[in-house]
Amino acid sequence: MPEEQNQTIMAVDELQAIIQRCQILEEADFKGEDFNLFQVAGQKCLEDGYAAQLLEVIQNEKNKLIIKNMGWNLICPLVRCILMYKQEDDKREHCLKILHQLAQLCNPKELFLGLLEQIEQTSAEQVCQTVMLLLQPLQTVLLKLQNKKAYSVGLSLAMIMNQLTPLPVPYTKQQIQEDKLGLCQCCNAVVDFAKPFVNEVVKNMEKSSEYNDMELKEELLKFCMKSLKYPLLTAQLEQFEGIEEHPFRHFAIEIINILWDIRELIPLVFLHRKGKSPHWENQEFADIERKNSTDSLACLSYLMFVQHFGIDCFPMVFSPSYLLQCNMTHIEVLLKRTEESLLSKGLDLFESCLLRMEDNSLLHQYLEFRDFINVPQDLVKVMTLCPIEHLRKKSLNILQLFIDKFDAEGKYTLFRCLLKTSNHAGVEGYIIKNIKDQIHLSLTKACDNVWFTGHHLISLLDLVLLLPEGAETDLLQNSDRIMASLNLLRYLVIKDSESDNQTGVWTTLAKIEQNFLKPLHVGLNMSKAHYEAEIKNKKENRREAHSSNTICSVTVSGEKMPAMTTEMQLQVLHSALFTFDLIESVLARVEELIEVKIKAVMDENS
Amino acid sequence: MAATAGPAQPWSAEELRSEALPKKDIIKFLQEHAAQAVRSLYMCVSRRGESLSATHRLVLQFLAEHKLLGQVKNVAKTANKEQLIAAYTQLFHTQRFKGTDGAEKAAEKAKPTKVEEAKGKAAKPEEAVEEGPPKYTKSILKKGDKTNFPKKGDTVHCWYTGKLQDGTVFDTNIQTSSKKKKAAKPLSFKVGVGKVIRGWDEALLTMSKGEKAQLEIEPEWAYGKKGQPEGKIPPNAKLFFEVELVDIE
Repeated sequence: MPEEQNQTIMAVDELQAIIQRCQILEEADFKGEDFNLFQVAGQKCLEDGYAAQLLEVIQNEKNKLIIKNMGWNLICPLVRCILMYKQEDDKREHCLKILHQLAQLCNPKELFLGLLEQIEQTSAEQVCQTVMLLLQPLQTVLLKLQNKKAYSVGLSLAMIMNQLTPLPVPYTKQQIQEDKLGLCQCCNAVVDFAKPFVNEVVKNMEKSSEYNDMELKEELLKFCMKSLKYPLLTAQLEQFEGIEEHPFRHFAIEIINILWDIRELIPLVFLHRKGKSPHWENQEFADIERKNSTDSLACLSYLMFVQHFGIDCFPMVFSPSYLLQCNMTHIEVLLKRTEESLLSKGLDLFESCLLRMEDNSLLHQYLEFRDFINVPQDLVKVMTLCPIEHLRKKSLNILQLFIDKFDAEGKYTLFRCLLKTSNHAGVEGYIIKNIKDQIHLSLTKACDNVWFTGHHLISLLDLVLLLPEGAETDLLQNSDRIMASLNLLRYLVIKDSESDNQTGVWTTLAKIEQNFLKPLHVGLNMSKAHYEAEIKNKKENRREAHSSNTICSVTVSGEKMPAMTTEMQLQVLHSALFTFDLIESVLARVEELIEVKIKAVMDENS
Repeated sequence: MAATAGPAQPWSAEELRSEALPKKDIIKFLQEHAAQAVRSLYMCVSRRGESLSATHRLVLQFLAEHKLLGQVKNVAKTANKEQLIAAYTQLFHTQRFKGTDGAEKAAEKAKPTKVEEAKGKAAKPEEAVEEGPPKYTKSILKKGDKTNFPKKGDTVHCWYTGKLQDGTVFDTNIQTSSKKKKAAKPLSFKVGVGKVIRGWDEALLTMSKGEKAQLEIEPEWAYGKKGQPEGKIPPNAKLFFEVELVDIE
């Protein structure tokens, strides 16, 4: 017992000793050695559990000068202790009081560096706790910096966000409620921390535009841009059932409020990527800044137009077409990504813009903008390649919405474009069905639609009523497209009488036969013969089929698929034959109809 | 054998064979209720990816297998009763019923209604482009300089207040003493090129610098059928604006 007591008393004694020594010194005479001794003694007190005594020393008026110069060195051990002690522990209370005192007494510049250093050095598991702990003293210290604070405020916010960025963003309802690493809480604490600085900028803007305030405003703007990218772009921002206060929705609203208060919200929404950034002379830096801001701006548009955060600040005079045009850049940015959180935001943004518009109201001239051509192609990529089913389905619905909004010439141009670029039989089949619907509308309306009848249509049909690789076209692969084309042709033959010939199908019949119907016959015969031979082969070699010299194997989701049995292989081959039969029966029907009509005309004329 | 899913068998074995039941009826039933084949059987075939007309194709496959494609009267000519009964029996045996797979069903359902909608809206499309009488009125509150008028493509700067028919203010950029202090800057935009609602584009081209006017804009030249719900503008709303043109660039 006595030995231990000696040890602990020693820590406090050492502290008292250095204090007494420095009390009689002038501030200018403090030496490096004194700083060291103070730090070591202070640290020992904390580690040995004598926070109370340390607090007394710090609170002592006589020691003010010493603490002012040397106090900041205690930050590191102090934080360590606070994080270690339990909530109820008295020692923790003392440590918190020490922290508070240091914020009041120490040289702001030095303490600022000490705090920042501490944040920089924390591990990922503890960073949120540490940040939340230090935000209050940090704020106190920054406010003390008066007019020189802009740079330091910027540095703090940047440092904090840098430390948070590696952390995973809670996504599901459960993850958000758990908030394992404390990110949700921390983000909201950071916006609260920023509030006095925002208020300062607002106050100064109302007076006049001083150079000083521009700097602080710039730093706050940078912080908002960073927050839009992380965590907001990745976060799930839909309202969850059972969570009244969704932390990221709250965070998003606060960020929007800051942007509004510093008068950057609406300018940012209208900022176009193409604009030249005035800050950088070096083009490379300008490019980097632009790239970094595209994600943030896309997120901002999502927040405003899908979640309606800050929408009541947005002028209600712009046309829906113009809003779509403004958002296309952002939609393109999001649709080119692969992460679910970004893709779904892009789709939601696209959908919300389209839903604002009436059908047939979007002028075809908009297709002259490059992103109006790129975005539907990106949609096609999502609907054919994205592994997430509900996103594929959604992108298909949105493509139809997009088509519906265009005027006739716009639809025409879009169909041509997608037929040429999609390289996917299912999509082509879908477009061809759309073409059929438009022709139907044109034929049944009183007024003429020049784009889906006559020579424009003939030009379009040239893209539709053909086999991409002639008789050698893979009929199975292209069956969706071929069936759609045949159905379209059948419709035209039935609906458009030869005497009317509004669609021009009767004039181009010879070409259609040459490019489409004849090669299709040939292809069908070849394919059927081929598959029938395969089937015969398989059946004959059934006994030898169990040899396991697989040339290749297929793995799905980490599981190797079992090799197909002969029975399964035969089923597949039979299915192929069914498909060919199907195509053939529709083909036969079409030719029958053509023959009947031609015969009727010939009879009439004879 | 009773089916465990899908529609009940409308006819018993005897009824099927009787002369009283015409072939046409059986064919109609089969064509209407041919089912989606069990997915697993055709999964191998669908390896080329999700196919949008898979359902359609599979329905036709069943019909094709049994030579039931085409107009009822034509099929009736070629198919004999035995074949039809066999197809009917097999239908229930393999339980291939339409609509047992929800997702595909939803996709199928969506298609016909879209065409219906499109037909319904077919009357409107050209109207947007046609020139008709102006769908707004303007009354001047304060005269402008009557010399400087904006041209298409000029940037204009204005103060404005927008109200609904019932007097609700849905938007303004004029500084008031309300909670949300707006920026003390007029709204700027390029006029006459479709960036704003048509009522504004048309009206501003008739205003001179300094003019303040009251505009009443019909929904067709404002936000039309859709309105702007989050902007508090209901569908088919007539909008009332007080606009002051302060500058032209």
